[in-house]
Amino acid sequence: MAISATASAGLGQTGGPAPGAASPARGSRLNVGTAFAGAVLGYLFGHWLGNAIVSGDLYEVAFNTSTNNVAIFLALLFGVVGWLAGIGALNYPIAKIMGKEAPAEIPEEGWARFLKFTLDHKVVGIQYVVGVLMFFFTGGLIAMAIRTELLNPTSHIFGPNIYIQLVSEHGSIMMMMATSIVVGPLGNFLVPLMIGSRRMAFPRVEALSFWVFISGLMVILTAFPLGGFQTGWTGYAPLQEQSSGGMDSYLMGFGVIGTGMILAGFNMAVSIITYRAPGMRWSRLPIFAWSMLGTAGLLTLATPVLFAGVYMGALDRTAQTALFVNAHGGSSFLWENLFWFFGHPEVYIMALPGFGIAAELLPVFTRKPLFAYRVGAAGMIGVGLLSFFVWQHHLFQSGINPDMRPMFMLTTELISIPTGFIYLVGMGTLWRAKIRLELPMLFVLALYFNFLFGGITGVYLSDVPINVQVHGSFFVMAHFHYTIMGGLVFAFFGGLYYWLPRMTGSMMNETLGRIHFWMMFIFFNLTFFPLFIVGLLGMPRRVFEYAPRLQTLNDISSISSYLLGFSFVVFTINLVWTQFISPKPAPPNPWNSKGLEWTMPTPLPFHNFSRIPVILSDPYRYGEPDALPVADFGEIAAATSSTHEGLAGAQPTSSGTEEV
Amino acid sequence: MADAPGLMEPAEEIAYETRCAEGAIWTGTRLLIGVIAMAFAGVGFAYFYLRSVNSEGLWRPHGQTAPLLLGTEIAGAALVGAILQSYGLFRLRRGLDLDWSVATWATAGAGVLGCGLQIWELTRLGFQPGQSGYASLFVAWGPLSAALLLVGAYWSETLAARALRMKSAVAGDGGLSASQLPRARLFRASAEGAAYFWWFITTVSVLFWLLFYIV
Ligand SMILES: [Cu+2]
Repeated sequence: MAISATASAGLGQTGGPAPGAASPARGSRLNVGTAFAGAVLGYLFGHWLGNAIVSGDLYEVAFNTSTNNVAIFLALLFGVVGWLAGIGALNYPIAKIMGKEAPAEIPEEGWARFLKFTLDHKVVGIQYVVGVLMFFFTGGLIAMAIRTELLNPTSHIFGPNIYIQLVSEHGSIMMMMATSIVVGPLGNFLVPLMIGSRRMAFPRVEALSFWVFISGLMVILTAFPLGGFQTGWTGYAPLQEQSSGGMDSYLMGFGVIGTGMILAGFNMAVSIITYRAPGMRWSRLPIFAWSMLGTAGLLTLATPVLFAGVYMGALDRTAQTALFVNAHGGSSFLWENLFWFFGHPEVYIMALPGFGIAAELLPVFTRKPLFAYRVGAAGMIGVGLLSFFVWQHHLFQSGINPDMRPMFMLTTELISIPTGFIYLVGMGTLWRAKIRLELPMLFVLALYFNFLFGGITGVYLSDVPINVQVHGSFFVMAHFHYTIMGGLVFAFFGGLYYWLPRMTGSMMNETLGRIHFWMMFIFFNLTFFPLFIVGLLGMPRRVFEYAPRLQTLNDISSISSYLLGFSFVVFTINLVWTQFISPKPAPPNPWNSKGLEWTMPTPLPFHNFSRIPVILSDPYRYGEPDALPVADFGEIAAATSSTHEGLAGAQPTSSGTEEV
Repeated sequence: MADAPGLMEPAEEIAYETRCAEGAIWTGTRLLIGVIAMAFAGVGFAYFYLRSVNSEGLWRPHGQTAPLLLGTEIAGAALVGAILQSYGLFRLRRGLDLDWSVATWATAGAGVLGCGLQIWELTRLGFQPGQSGYASLFVAWGPLSAALLLVGAYWSETLAARALRMKSAVAGDGGLSASQLPRARLFRASAEGAAYFWWFITTVSVLFWLLFYIV
C-alpha cells in the first residue's frame, strides 16, 4: 500500500501507518508451505493430546468403538489452527492483544502472493478460483466413481461400504464448494469494483475465510482413511452417532467450512452496505451485488445454526453428551431440525449467486436494460427471508406432527413466487431482444433452461402427496442437481468466461470454450434427466444396487457423466493454456459492457480507483442514447460542483440517509 | 501493480473512507451480534425442543440443576462488564479518557473472570453429560458461554491496549475522546461497538441463566 503524507493505509487505519503498528506484510515468508507444516504439527499435537486425555481411567471412549474420537477431533482442530498459524492468519489477532494497529499492506508482485495470506481482494478472488476448482474437480472425480459403480445393477466395483463413503464424500465436498463457488471468486473480486470501492470492509476476515475454506477440503478428505462416514452429506442422527471415525471429519469439516462461510458472508455484507461509492444508491446497485448481499445475509444468519448442530454432534461423539440420543433424553430429530434450518437457506445460498450472474450478464448480451430491476432485487431479498421458514419440508416423512405439513407446504410453495420474479426478470430481458450468442451468454441461457426443470420439480417436491412418493429417491437427487449444477455451476462458468479477462487480463479461447459449453450442456442433461425417470420408477438414493430393468437409463447417465467430466478437461486445458502458458491480452472491455468494473485499466491498479468515482446511473442503460455515464471519475472539485451527490457532501450510505 | 506506490488521496477522500470505515464498524458490530445470536438461537431451540419432546422422560429427571450460585456469578460478571463498558463510554464522551481506560480494563477482567468461572463450573456439575437432555445441553452451552465472555474480554482488552499505544499520538489533538485523526475516530467507533456488544453478552447470559437455573 502506498504511503505518502496524506495517503491512506487503506485498511481502515487512514492517516498513515501508526507508530507501533505490527510489522508489514511484505517480506512475510509465511506461505502455503509453512501452512502445511503448521497443519501437520498441529495434527500430531492434537492427536497426542487426545490420546493423553483419554488414556487412564479418566475417560471412556464413546460407543465402545476402538476409535478415539477425542484424539481425532483434537488432531483435526489443532491441524486447522496450525494451518492458519502457518499461513500467518493469527499474527494480527495476537498483535492486537499488545495494542498494535494494523500494518499497512504493501503491494506484492509475482506468483508468490497467490500462495500467501493477502489482503488484496483481487488476489483473494483468484485464490478462490483455484480453491473452488479444487473442490469441484475432487468432488467430480468421486461422482464419476459413483456412476461407475452404478453401471451394472448387480456386479460391483466398490461394494456397499465404499460406495456409501463415496456418495457421502461427493455430497459433502460439492455442497462445501457450492457455498463459495460464486461468493468466493467472483464476489470477492468484483464487488468492490462494482460498488466503487478501493477495498473490502474487513480484508483480514476475507483472507481468513479463504484459508479456512481450503482447510475444510483437507479435513473432509481425512474421512477416507478414518473409515468414511455413511450418512450422506446430511449427516443424520442416529447414524451420525454410530458411524466410524470419518464422521468426526464430517462434523469438523462442516464446522470449519461453516466458519469460512460466516466470515466470507460477514465481510461481503458489511462491504456492500458501507463501502458503496457516493451516488451508489440501492437503486443503482448492480444486480450481481444485490445477489451477493442476499447470499451474504443467508451465510451469516443461517450458518451459525449449522455450526451449533455440528458442535452438538461433536460433543455427543467426544464428551458423551446425549443431545441426539433418544434413549438418554436427547433427540435425533434435533439434528435434523438444526441441520435443515441451515440447510434450506443453504439452497438459496446456492441459487441466488447464479441468478445474480445471469441477470448481470443478460443486459450486456441483449443490449437492453435489465427488465424490472427492482422486482429482481426485491425477489432476491424475499427469497432470502422466506427461506428461513420452510425447513420442515425436509421432514415431511419423518418426525413432524402431520398437521404441521400443510403449513410448511404453503411456505415452500410461497417461495416459488419471489423465485418466479427472479426468473421472469430474465425472461423479460430476453423478450424481443437481439441476443448476442457469445460464450458467456450460452451459459446464461443454459441456466434458464436447466432451472426450469430444477425449479418446477421443486414445486412438485414441496407438495406433500408427491413428496410421500418420491422422497429419498433419485428424483430428489436429479432435482437438486438441476438447480445446483444446472443453475449455479453453469452460471459460475459463464461468469468465469465473462470476467476472467477482467481478472487476469487474458481472454479464454472461444473455440475450446464453445466445445466445453456444448459438451457440458448436452451431457449434463443426459446425465441427470434419466435420473428423474429412474427416481419416479422407484430407485432410492445412496443404495449401490438397483432393479435390473433400470440399467439402460443408469448406463445412459453413467456414460454421459464421463463425457460431462471430459468437458472439464477441455475447460482446464483452455484455462491453463490461455491464462498461464500463452496468454492472449484481452481488449479493455471485450463484451462492451457498461458495468463499472470494466472502466479501470488492465492490469487493475492496486487501489482499483485512483479517484473515488461518483456514481450517476445504474449500469444497464443499454440502448438509451441520452443516458448518463455510469460514473464520474473526475477530480473531486469537478465532481462536487457538477453533481449534487459529490463526495464531500455525501454521507456514507450506512448512515441510512440515502434514499432506497 | 500499475500505480503503486503512489496514491495521493485528497482530504475529502480520506474523510469519506474514514466515514465508510466507521460505518463498517457500526454495521459489523450489529451483524456480528446477529451471527452469534443465531448460534445461541440454535441452543435455545434445542432447549425447548428437547424439553417438549422429553424423550424417555429424561429431559430433566429429579429437577437437575447446575450450581446456582456459580451460574449467578457468571451472569453477574457479564452484567458488570456491560455496565462498566457503557459507563466508560459515557465518560469517554465527556473527555475523561482515563476513566474510560480504567473501566475498560475492568471490563476485560470481568470477562476473563466470568469465562474462568464458567469453565470451573463445568467441572463442578452434579450430573454426567449423558444423564439427561438437560445435562447434555448444559454441557454444550457452557463452553459457548465461556467463549462468548472471552470474546467480549478480548474486544475490551485490545481496545484498552490500543488506547495506551495511541495516547501520545492523539495527545496534541484533543486526546482519545476528541481527536479527529482517523485512527482516533475508528477507535471510538470500536469503543462504542464494544459497549453495545457487552449488552448483547449480558442479554444472552441472563436469558440462558433463566432457562438453565431458574425455570
Ligand atoms: Cu429445502
